[in-house]
Amino acid sequence: MHTNEHTQKAETFIVPIGPQHPALREPGHFEFTIEGEIVTAASVRLGYAHRGIEKGTESRNWVQNLYMLERICGICSHIHATAYCLGVEQLAGVEAPPRAQAIREMVGELERTHSHLLWLGEAAHEAGFETLFMYAWRDRETVMDILEALTGNRVNYSANLLGGVKYDVTAEQASKIEQGLDYLEERTRHYLDVVTSDPVFIQRTRGIGVMTAVQADRLGVVGPTARASGVVRDVRVEAPYAAYADFPITPVLAQAGDLEARFVVRLKELFESYNVIRRILANLPSGDLVLKRMPRRIKAGETISRVEAPRGELFYFIRSNGSDTPDRVKVRTPTLCNMASVLTLTVGRHLADVPMILVGIDPCFSCNDRGLVLKRGDEHEHWTWDRLRQVGLEHYAGEQGSGGAGGKSISPAPLPPCPPALLTGMHV
Amino acid sequence: MIRDLATLLFFPGGLSVLLAGMAFAWLDRKLLAQLQNRLGPRWFQPLADAVKLLAKEEVVPAGVNRLLFVSLPVVALAGALTAVLYIPLWGLPPAASLPGDLVITVYLLSLLTLCTGLAGANSGGRFSLLGATRTLTQLFAYEAPFLMALMGPALAAGSWQIGVIMAGINGRWLLLTQPIGFLVALIGLMGKLEMPPFDAPEAETEIVAGALTEYSGRGLALFYLGRSVELVLGLTLVAAFYLGGLTNPAAFLLKTLGLLFFVAVVQSLMARLRIDQTVGLWWRYGALLVLLQWLVLWGGRWL
Repeated sequence: MHTNEHTQKAETFIVPIGPQHPALREPGHFEFTIEGEIVTAASVRLGYAHRGIEKGTESRNWVQNLYMLERICGICSHIHATAYCLGVEQLAGVEAPPRAQAIREMVGELERTHSHLLWLGEAAHEAGFETLFMYAWRDRETVMDILEALTGNRVNYSANLLGGVKYDVTAEQASKIEQGLDYLEERTRHYLDVVTSDPVFIQRTRGIGVMTAVQADRLGVVGPTARASGVVRDVRVEAPYAAYADFPITPVLAQAGDLEARFVVRLKELFESYNVIRRILANLPSGDLVLKRMPRRIKAGETISRVEAPRGELFYFIRSNGSDTPDRVKVRTPTLCNMASVLTLTVGRHLADVPMILVGIDPCFSCNDRGLVLKRGDEHEHWTWDRLRQVGLEHYAGEQGSGGAGGKSISPAPLPPCPPALLTGMHV
Repeated sequence: MIRDLATLLFFPGGLSVLLAGMAFAWLDRKLLAQLQNRLGPRWFQPLADAVKLLAKEEVVPAGVNRLLFVSLPVVALAGALTAVLYIPLWGLPPAASLPGDLVITVYLLSLLTLCTGLAGANSGGRFSLLGATRTLTQLFAYEAPFLMALMGPALAAGSWQIGVIMAGINGRWLLLTQPIGFLVALIGLMGKLEMPPFDAPEAETEIVAGALTEYSGRGLALFYLGRSVELVLGLTLVAAFYLGGLTNPAAFLLKTLGLLFFVAVVQSLMARLRIDQTVGLWWRYGALLVLLQWLVLWGGRWL
C-alpha cells in the first residue's frame, strides 16, 4: 500500500503522521512525501492496535464472543454483534423472531445516526471548524440519550442475543425516540445547509479528494465513501439482513465524489435512518423478543455474514466444528477497504487537505487492525496466503509442543480464502 | 529615572500590560468557548499556564543553535513590550512619542511573527519547519495590507506619529469613513495572531503545533505572553485609529472589548483557511480593497 519511491528517499521531505498525532484519534502511521505544500507520495502502516480478538474468539464460547466482538469498535458496536448473531443463527439453522429483527435494525440505524454525527464533528474539527464540531457533538447527545434509554448503555449497548434481542421498546420509549428524531431531523437539515452553503467550508471540501466512480470501483471502497462517488454499494439494499426486507431504505447517492459529496451523502443518510426508525416504531411486529431455545453448541459448518456498518460493508466469516466455541472467526471492517483510497487521493493535494481526505473515509483504526504486518528495515516482500498460513501453523505447533495453551487442537482444515486485495495490499 | 523605570516595568508597560494580555487572552478564549457551546477556561487559566510553563524545564532539542533557541522568545516578548510605549494603552497618551513611531510600532509587532518563524526554522523538526514556512508565508500575506490599513488614518491626519494621528482624528469615528481599512486592520490583526481562520501555521490536525512544536517551558511561555500582549496592543491600535480615539480608561475598555467580541465571533464562524487560500485572500481582496480605500482618500483631498 505504498507508492513512495525509495530511490528518492535521500532528497525528499517526509512528513510522518502518527502513530501519535493530533489528527489521529487512534494509532496509524502515514508517511507523506511533500514538495512545498504538495503531497507527492503516501504510504500507510497499520496494525498498532492489533488486539488478537479473532484468536480470542476461539477460546470463548458462542455467547461470550458476542460481548467481545461488540468491543471491536467503540462506535459501531451493535453492528458487529448483529453480524455475528446473524451468522451464528444461520449456522444453527434458526432465525430470530420478526420483532427482534426489527429492533436490531432500529438500534442499528440509531447507531448509524450517532456514528455519522460523530463523524460530522470530527471532520469539521479536521477542517478547523470548531463551532460545527461542538454543535454536532452536542446534538449527538440526543441520540446517545435515546440509546441509553433503550438499552442502559451509551456505546456498547449489548442489545443483541443469539436468537433475538435483549430489550423491548415500550410505548413511552417510542414517543421519546420520536421526539428525539424530530429534533435531530431539524438539526441535520441545518447542518446539511451549512456544509453545502458555507463559503469558507466549501473552499475546503468542494472539488477536493475527487474519486470517480471507476476509481471507487477499482479501489474497492465501500459504504458512504463509495456512494459519494456514485457507486451503489449498500448491503442493506443488495442483500437485506435483519428486517431490511420489511423496512427498506433507499441508498443515498452523490455523483461528485469529492469531500463535499461525502458530507452530503452521510447527512442525507441520516434522514433515511430517521424515516426508517419511524416506520419501524409505527409497525413494530408483535411477538417474542428471543427464540425459546438457542443451541449451546452450533452445528459444524461455515458461513459468511455481511452487514452495512456506518462506514460500509462489514464482513464476518464464521466456522464451527460443532463445539461450543467457534473454530474461526474472521472480521473485515470497512476501513481496510477504504484505506487505499486515502493514499491515492492525497497524492497531488495540499498537505492541509490530507487530514480532511483521511477523515473523509471515516477511518476506524482499532476496528481494522487485525492483519499481520512485519517490517524489517528496507526489505519488503509480499507473503502469499500459503506462506502466511504455514508460518502460523508452525508457530502454533511450536507453542503446543512446549505444552502451551491447554492443548487445543489445531484444525487441519484449510483457512478461509482471504480477499487478494487484503494481502497484496500490505507490505510485509 | 525612577519614573522611567516604573513606566517600563510596571505601568503602563511591563507587568500591567502582561496582566492585561492574559486577561484579554482569557476573555478571547472564554467568548469563543461560549459561542461554540463550550464552558471555556476559568479566569486565571492563562496566568496558571504561564506560571506552570515558566517553572518547567526548557528542553532544547539536539542539533539546534542553542543561543537562538533560547533568545528568540525573549526577543519576541521584548519587541511586543517595547511597542507598548508608543501605543495609547489604557486610554492614556503614549509613554514615548517620536515622528514616525507608527512604523516602529508595526515593525516591533512583527518581531513576534519573525521570531516565531526563525524559532521554527531553527528547531529542525519537520512540523516546526513546515510551521515556520507557513508562518513566514502568512507574514508576507497580511503584513502589507495590515500596514496599509493602518496608514489610512495616518493619511487622513497627515502624520506618521501615533500621538499626532490621534490628535488629528480628534474623536471622529474613521470606521464610518474608512470601513474597508477598519476591517482589513482588524482581520490583519487576527492573521498576525494566527487566530482561526488564519491558524494554518499552527494547524494541529496537520502540523501539530507548527513552528513552536519543539518549544516547552520558558520559551513557550514567553511566546504565549508575547502573543497575549500583541492582542491587547493590536486591539488598542485599531480602536484608537478607527473607533474615535482612546481618551480615557473607560473608553479604552469599552472599545477594545467590543473589538475582542467581534474577533471572537469571526473566529467561531469559519473553518480554517489553507495557507494558499490565506495568501490569495489577502492579495486578491485585502490589499486591493485597501488600495481602493486609498484612492478614495486621495480623491477626497482633491475635491
